[in-house]
Amino acid sequence: MTPYRFVPHTADVAVELRARSELGLYQAGLDALRELLVGTSPVTPAVERAIEPRGADPTERLIHFLTDALYLWDTDRFLPAKVTASGIAGETYDPAKHQAQREVKAVTRHGAEVRVAEGEGGYRTTIVFDV
Amino acid sequence: MRTEGLIFADAELMRDLEGDQSVQQVANVAHLPGIVGPAIAMPDIHWGYGFPIGGVAAFDEEEGVVSPGGVGYDINCGVRLLVAPLGIADVRPRLAQLVDTLFATIPSGVGASRSDVKLGRRDLERVLSQGARWAVEQGYGFPGDLEAIEANGELPAADPDAVSERAKERGKSQLGTVGSGNHFVEVGYVAETFDAAVAQRLGLEPGRLTVFIHSGSRGLGYQVCDDSLDGMIRAAAKYAIPLPDRQLCCAPLSSPEARAYWGAMNAAANYAFANRQLMAHYARLALGKVFGPDAAERTRLVYDVCHNIAKHETHEVDGRSRRLCVHRKGATRAFPPGHAELAPQFRDIGQPVLIPGDMGRYSYVLVGTAGAFRETFGSSCHGAGRRLSRHKAKQLARPRNIPKELEARGIVVRAATRATVDEEMPEAYKDVARVVDVVHAAGIGRKVAQLRPVGVVKG
Repeated sequence: MTPYRFVPHTADVAVELRARSELGLYQAGLDALRELLVGTSPVTPAVERAIEPRGADPTERLIHFLTDALYLWDTDRFLPAKVTASGIAGETYDPAKHQAQREVKAVTRHGAEVRVAEGEGGYRTTIVFDV
Repeated sequence: MRTEGLIFADAELMRDLEGDQSVQQVANVAHLPGIVGPAIAMPDIHWGYGFPIGGVAAFDEEEGVVSPGGVGYDINCGVRLLVAPLGIADVRPRLAQLVDTLFATIPSGVGASRSDVKLGRRDLERVLSQGARWAVEQGYGFPGDLEAIEANGELPAADPDAVSERAKERGKSQLGTVGSGNHFVEVGYVAETFDAAVAQRLGLEPGRLTVFIHSGSRGLGYQVCDDSLDGMIRAAAKYAIPLPDRQLCCAPLSSPEARAYWGAMNAAANYAFANRQLMAHYARLALGKVFGPDAAERTRLVYDVCHNIAKHETHEVDGRSRRLCVHRKGATRAFPPGHAELAPQFRDIGQPVLIPGDMGRYSYVLVGTAGAFRETFGSSCHGAGRRLSRHKAKQLARPRNIPKELEARGIVVRAATRATVDEEMPEAYKDVARVVDVVHAAGIGRKVAQLRPVGVVKG
């Protein structure tokens, strides 16, 4: 199962996320966000940063989680690697190691709707990043 | 749908929309409560989030709503045009030096910040409440600049207290920076005029050097939009507003949720005005470094327009004057000659409308018309509009060297990353000449001049 896949969107960047759990969906979203920020540059889960879970449903919780990860990047240059029990693990941007790709303005709600598929038991949604 | 959708386009521009969701997004906007007249899309319409990009919608002040998705994350993203006292022939020999100096003087790219402009708390509050006026009072530009900015670069409805700490944190070191994506600083020249008299009034004689600046409210504006969405989703449920797309979440204009967003959105818009004012100041400094102090002092601001904003305006609907909240997301205000909100210098010619194209072809200057006021709530297009996804553009650009190709055409490009240049390659955009021709033919803007690029700074 491919956890994330970029799909055509004219102005911004759309990505389809798939995972076996809600937490897995967070990881897939985080991986997509990291690729947008620094491409395939390796990011080590060296330091942990807390993210408070919030949101009334899985869609809102996912969007808030990714938005908070983006805020840590925008204010502290903190790059995410892994979802942890209390937030995310990652490291500070190092221009010698990481190749910055583009600015990501926001995680939008356009077309976002976490669905749990029958049978395979997979969680899926599309997320559009404003870039 | 509560009303119809109205898309300004020709057959080819309509074909560009096949297979994406932009037309559906026009229909979604037509579902919103209190909409007055049609949900409108300009010929540069393309698929966005919530509203389409190139969307215009007006709402009744009593029964209507405000939607952050109708403004966008980059609140008061806009463009500003400067004209220098130099001819393109004089500039060509030192063009690379000029573009390098602009690239060094105006930070661009991911996380761009200025070490020389760190805003303390009091200054940031003043930026949020006074916009471009704060910048001019600090010495970034001339008092005369303010008359050539939409709303004089200062929206009085701003409420700095409605802007979150998170947003202020994101905004404190980004003033005077370009950012990334489709934002730019572009050096060009006046290649052709369509109305010589109006062009001359604006200082746009053929051959004159121009500097186009495209940027907005940076991280502060993105955060203001983001902060508002939770409350707007709750408000939509509270006021029983069905949403065809979560990103269209909204609140009645008279509600406390709308008032909080309104104060914060206007404050972010002021930040964007100040941002472009600082960038213009540094562009003048760059011109001064390369061509001498006279070039800096005599570089004039032609105009500065917002193209992501919502504003309260008076319009005539079915023969009567009504106060409306007009959302323009990727659309430009285009007020006609005689409009009371225009500065005296534009009162007889109409408001300048600035339409950047892609970095390889051309851009346009138009003026607002009575037709725009009648048909589109005084609105026109805002650019070329994308036709290729960023992914597709990168695929096409990968085996090529876009900066070298542009240089062979006499256009010097400096960018923080290759990714941005590839994604922003000229073919990624519609031909802005076609977009502008539709606007001109429909009477919702009138062509004045065409500018051609010779140097581009990208994030």
